[in-house]
Parts: sequence; C-alpha cells; structure tokens
Amino acid sequence: MVKESTWSIIQYITAILLILFLGFHLIERIPGLSPLQAATYEESLEYEKVSRAYDSYGWVLATLLVIGLFHGLNGLRGMLLEWKPEARTVINIVILVVFIVFAFVGFTTIYNHLAG
Amino acid sequence: MSETQKQRVKMLQNMIGFFRASLNPWVIRVKFKENPERVAFILHRVSGAIIAFYLLAHIIVTSYTDDPLAWERILNTLSSPWNKVGEWILATAIIYHGLNGIRLLLVEFFGVGIGRPELPKPPYIPPSFKGGQRKALYAVFILSIIGSILSAVLIFTGKLPI
Repeated sequence: MVKESTWSIIQYITAILLILFLGFHLIERIPGLSPLQAATYEESLEYEKVSRAYDSYGWVLATLLVIGLFHGLNGLRGMLLEWKPEARTVINIVILVVFIVFAFVGFTTIYNHLAG
Repeated sequence: MSETQKQRVKMLQNMIGFFRASLNPWVIRVKFKENPERVAFILHRVSGAIIAFYLLAHIIVTSYTDDPLAWERILNTLSSPWNKVGEWILATAIIYHGLNGIRLLLVEFFGVGIGRPELPKPPYIPPSFKGGQRKALYAVFILSIIGSILSAVLIFTGKLPI
C-alpha cells in the first residue's frame, strides 16, 4: 500500500518533469521555435508534421503520456477524495482503470506510427 | 463524538461547500486583496480539472493520426471559431497552472519564499504573507495574463508578432 505522502512526492516530481516535457510539446506549436519547422500554428498540426514528431521523438511523447496521465489523474483523485472520502476504494480503482485504458490507447498510437 | 460535532462534520463534508471551496471561481467569498492565495488555489484546481479532461480527449483525438484522411477531417472540425476559443481557454489554463505550479513547487517542495518562524507579537502577520511567495503569486497572475494574450494571438492569427 503506497502512502498518500509518497503519492504527493511523486505528484511534485511529475510536475517538474511536466514543465520540461509539456514545455517542449507546446514549443512545437510556436513558429520560429518549433523543431518541426512549422511556419504557422496550423501548419504544426498538419499530418506530415505530426507524423514527423512521432518519428523523431516518440520517446518524448511516450514519457509525456505517462507523466501527464499520472499527474492529471492523481490531481483528479485528490479532488474526488476530498469530495467523497468514504469512497476511497472506488475512486482509486476507477482512476487506475482510466489510467491503464488511456495509457494503452496512447501507446498504441505511438507504436502504430513507429511501426509505419 | 457529540451531536454538535457530528453536525459540523456533516456540514463540512457537504457537496455544495466542496464546490464553493474548491471548484467554483465565481463564488469567492473573500476579497482578492485579503487572500490572493485562496484565489490562486481555486484557479489552480479549475485549470487542473480543465487540463486533465482535455488530456483524456487529446489522447482519443490523436489516436486518429494514424489515418491522414481522418486527421484532416478532425483538423477541419477543430478549425471552427468556437474550437479556437476552447483552445485559447485551454492554453490560458496550461499557462496559469504551469506558472502557479512552479510557485507551489518552490514554496511547498523546496520551502522557498515562506520566511522564517517568528514570535506571534500583535499585530501578527504570518511570515509567509511577508515572504517572497506573495510577490511570486502576483508575478504569476501578471505573467499568466501576458501569456494568455500571446496565446490568443498565436491561436487566432497563427503567428506570434516576434
């Protein structure tokens, strides 16, 4: 059984990692700074650019997926536990299931791109 | 536990109180000047909830990037003005949540800007209210507004004026 204080420390560590990884993910959309060399915000979202992002730094997106999902869902879990403290087990199970399902969908997308 | 205590616990756990205390930024019962940390806390929760739900939708939407035609259809749908407004709200939420998150990391995780403990001589002002964290909080609000304006320019015009 993981202590709540341990979850809290992991929440802070994922926050630090998110500043770096999400910061990079957002810079992809800024013309002039984008590693995808997109001339406009819309161009950075085009199929060719998005595909190149998966091919060039799929590991960044995979890491971002895991830490983003953990940080976001653990934050929601904290809010739900404050609202319904008596439903701790149900909330923990629902959050874990959501994490597994969405991590699976995300990893499948990344794998499909890398597999061509 | 006495009956009065039980009633108090029940009152503290009620749902309306929860939403008022943590999720509804429009029902702030304290003045901004008196307690900006509370305003920051509420905004942090609201922006966090927006980002978390968007992340789940984002994972589903990007799963269509395998198919160029499907992705094209999605981009056409998302290019409507209302979706752009949604993107701008999301960008503002990310900017605020990120900047306030850095402040919280410094204050809560590294103990920076909260001052040293002192004897509570009247009129007592907690050291944390006089420390650098409150200045950092105002900086977070100002930088978030600047970031929000820049993100609006980027999203609605496609470029930044730099």
